[in-house]
Amino acid sequence: MATEVLMPPLGTNVDTATLVIWYRREGDQVAAGEALFAVETDKATLDVEAPATGVLRAVSVAAGEEAPALTRIAWIATADENLPEDGTECTQGAARHAAQADAASDAQESATAAADRRFASPRARRAASEMGVDLRAVAGTGPSGSVVERDVLAAARTQERVPPATPLARRVAADAGVPLEALAGTGPGGRIQRGDVERAPAPAPGEAVESVPVTGVRAHIAERLGRSSRETAAVTLTAEADATAFARLRGEIVAEGLRASYNDLFLRLLARALREHPRLNASLVGDRIVALRRVDIALAVDTERGLLAPVLRGVDDLSLREIVKRSAALVDRARRGECPPEELSGGTFTLTNLGMYGIDAFTPIVNLPECAILGVGRIKQAPAVVDGRIEVRHRVWLSLTFDHRIVDGGPAARFLQRVVQLVEEPGRLLAGAPAGP
Amino acid sequence: MAVLTIAEALRDGIREEMRRDPTVFCLGEDIGVAGGWGGAFTVTLGLADEFGHDRVLDTPISESGFCGVAIGAAMTGMRPIADVQYGDFLFCMMDQLANQAAKMTYMSGGTVKVPLVIRAPVGSTRRGAQHAQTLEVFFTHVPGLKVVAPSTAYDAKGLLKAAVRDDNPVLIFEHKLLYGSKGARSEKGAVMSAGEVPDEDYIVPIGAGAIRREGRDVTLVGKLLTVYRAIEAAERLAADGIDAEVIDPRSLVPLDRALILESVRKTGRLVVVEEDNQMHGWAAEIVALAAAEAFWWLDAPPVRVSAPDVPPPFAPVLEAEYVPSVERILAAVRALF
Amino acid sequence: MTAAAPAATGTAVLLDLYRCMLLIRRFEERCNALFLQGRIPSTLHLYIGQEAVAAGVCSALRVDDYVTGTHRPHGHALAKGVSPRAIMAELMAKETGCCKGRGGSMHVGGIEVGMFPAVAIVGAGSPIAVGAALSAKMRGSDQVSVSFFGEGATNEGDWHEAMNMAAVWKLPVLFVCENNLYGASTRFEHAFSVPNIAGRASAYGMPGSEVYGNDVEAVRAAALDAVARARSGGGPSLIECRTYRLCGHSRSDACAYRPDEEEADWRRRDPLPGTAARLRAAPHDVAQHRLDALEHEVAAEVDDAVAYAEASPSPDPAEVAAHVYWEGD
Repeated sequence: MATEVLMPPLGTNVDTATLVIWYRREGDQVAAGEALFAVETDKATLDVEAPATGVLRAVSVAAGEEAPALTRIAWIATADENLPEDGTECTQGAARHAAQADAASDAQESATAAADRRFASPRARRAASEMGVDLRAVAGTGPSGSVVERDVLAAARTQERVPPATPLARRVAADAGVPLEALAGTGPGGRIQRGDVERAPAPAPGEAVESVPVTGVRAHIAERLGRSSRETAAVTLTAEADATAFARLRGEIVAEGLRASYNDLFLRLLARALREHPRLNASLVGDRIVALRRVDIALAVDTERGLLAPVLRGVDDLSLREIVKRSAALVDRARRGECPPEELSGGTFTLTNLGMYGIDAFTPIVNLPECAILGVGRIKQAPAVVDGRIEVRHRVWLSLTFDHRIVDGGPAARFLQRVVQLVEEPGRLLAGAPAGP
Repeated sequence: MAVLTIAEALRDGIREEMRRDPTVFCLGEDIGVAGGWGGAFTVTLGLADEFGHDRVLDTPISESGFCGVAIGAAMTGMRPIADVQYGDFLFCMMDQLANQAAKMTYMSGGTVKVPLVIRAPVGSTRRGAQHAQTLEVFFTHVPGLKVVAPSTAYDAKGLLKAAVRDDNPVLIFEHKLLYGSKGARSEKGAVMSAGEVPDEDYIVPIGAGAIRREGRDVTLVGKLLTVYRAIEAAERLAADGIDAEVIDPRSLVPLDRALILESVRKTGRLVVVEEDNQMHGWAAEIVALAAAEAFWWLDAPPVRVSAPDVPPPFAPVLEAEYVPSVERILAAVRALF
Repeated sequence: MTAAAPAATGTAVLLDLYRCMLLIRRFEERCNALFLQGRIPSTLHLYIGQEAVAAGVCSALRVDDYVTGTHRPHGHALAKGVSPRAIMAELMAKETGCCKGRGGSMHVGGIEVGMFPAVAIVGAGSPIAVGAALSAKMRGSDQVSVSFFGEGATNEGDWHEAMNMAAVWKLPVLFVCENNLYGASTRFEHAFSVPNIAGRASAYGMPGSEVYGNDVEAVRAAALDAVARARSGGGPSLIECRTYRLCGHSRSDACAYRPDEEEADWRRRDPLPGTAARLRAAPHDVAQHRLDALEHEVAAEVDDAVAYAEASPSPDPAEVAAHVYWEGD
């Protein structure tokens, strides 16, 4: 019996996805469970497995095309079997496929989690537990960046203590909105147990829908961005670039097996441009402008805890493959709240991308003490004039905000112009050394 | 108080025990022959002059046989000290050691005792595959045997005396590079292990380990030669600001678990250095001990620095690769910080 | 290598020898029955048919002389004087057994009567017996030491090493070979290129003799001779006793490898009826009712051993680690 191949639903907020590559061609024999095609959302690129064994037939979405979730993009059937009429839907298949896609997505996430998991030694865990230190916020200095006892001891001196509580008590408290700090623990060593949480008075109802104290990350954001807004002489330049070659190059790289995001390509491209324009890769230190040789690019990441800008160091020395690997790990750590403090400061330039939200152009705020920030908008297909004719092309808006105290409009504009040029003619620059993309 | 080599300290210990107790006697190959060497490494040199050839008994080349003889004598009121020329020959007497000596007390329901001492030289010393193995772990796995491995002259004498007075079979492993044997029996590449040994009677209790160097940051556990390698590594690590503690268990069975655990709980890091082959080995046992009983105190994975899983090679360049070097210990330790 | 001429054995001694053989036989027959009832949790290497060897040799020993037995040791232990109660309790895996349930059938012994825990590794007991003899000599005692072994053991290195050392050091050792013609299932001729074991003694400069192992008087005479030599400093001897298992190698053995005629022949030569016949004949002229009384006495002793073992506790599982090391006298 013929089985539908569906575009998987990749998340609650995603209703379409782009098919990156077919690993099998129409007419090929495929086996259930083998990777059949890759799809991409703004979040991730995922392999999708074949739902059945048979011959791949009636492929209706080609590589590079988008399709709504749960629409049929091909069939798997015997070679000579009559396929059902167009328009018939196999909802059972769809549901099953959706589940499979979720599983695939989970698998991908857990694989990423394993690769990027930051380790804490048993001794560090024990010390953290005894001293009420939140390990997630402790920077690791041990082997492979693991958290060791000295890191916990250092954190204990500065970090706000988390009351000792059982994992279950923490979860129950979080669900009930009960602050652990207000509770007295009755467990071993004063540990807060579930009963302690359940006995606590419910939070008093307030008038506001939500009233959140400005602490932690939020306070940090408020302070930094407020200071930037007050202190910098910010100017934003915008330019539109033809991203057709850029998008094609990315498709090729992905097809070669490297799951590079647009941001990864921008990181590589910016590293090149910043090397060429060191005035944009600069900081204001006291009353001196310090142009930096090494390119350490902060990446604006939207997290549950708020905007974070973890820094990818030495981007100019990294191959694209390394950039892909490290930026994914970095973003993941940021989203998990596991970035150590030193990873959240010390950048020389910032990249922010709102393309996934459908934003074209905006005015980013300079991430002090850096000199400039590049905002990348959505890459969309639009009519464009090429050699005097109107063609459908990929277009992208680039927004560069710079601190006029440090650099003038001319150099900033030339820098943006160079970025545009690199987007339009990426060549193999982006793929570059070392071996492969 | 005299400064003695390990060979001398063992000899003094045997002499004192033989004087103290007429049931103590030595047997083995080439141990008392006039004009001979006093065993392969001079430990029994001259003892026959004082005690005669009945109590310093030269045996035919019959390792299994004289081990059985020693067991029979031990079960009937004597306290034999059997000398094995090279530890490698213990395999020849494996049945007598593992099936007979080790099990007599148990399978007799505690009615028979075997107060037997077996001394065996081990360690890689340019003799290749059949005269240079590190064998302790084979015997630590046999319930009923006690196993000691002295690395200093003081311990050698004290443990030998304790072994002679113990009512169980005790294997004493002695490292060829630590003996300090002199003259024609001196060893190339020997480590100076001579030390002060009291004149008065003393024992080193079997089952008590020693801290060779106190430190806060990492625990190095070694035995025999690797104790010295660990100490040298510790001195060099001090220059990096890493304060290493060096533990010499001295007794392998029973093992001073408490001493090791206490140290690991203090330092949070463990590197076990052994000249043994690694697979299923002695260091693995120490690491397992720490993993099971000091897990929450560990600040880094406990690791082993061992000989590779190959026979002891002959060529000096290969042997140098085989025996754990100070550099390998340093690398292993540094990777934990 | 001539068989020692049977010395005239007094009636009382012959009765004692017969009683010893009868005890071994009835004890083991009961063991077999208990095994079949599942009350002995192990295989058994029965000594049935070979009783004259243990009885004859041990009758020549003092209680402080030493014996190393084999994996087939019930006969050695009973003949050396280990109590039937302690052996039966051991076979039934009880705390009151001669090894406190830690040894089992193959390791029965009793050091208080000079019997080491039996050594179930073929050949390995011989050096130990030599060591006991060395010890006796060093301590200035006139104790002797006996190593029982099957003919198969004389192909083990340990045996040769032991023979050599005993001879070199002129130690008071009796090497007693129970040649029952089969090493497990392997026939003598398949494992030996010599006609007998006794001849191997000459390789070590030691006297060797071959006796008919089912003749308890002949065995005893040879043993007396060797013991006397040993005690007087004359050194070790090898005695080969030709005998036959009238049962399988172990409980799982149906003896399919032995010819029926051979078995039937040896069954006719069973040492128990043979010894009983001698007792009834001149010059002993023992009345049948005395032999019947002996039967009853032995049966009662075996009954008592079984009752004792049955009533005894099993070892405490919490005590599994006890006695691995010496825990004091």
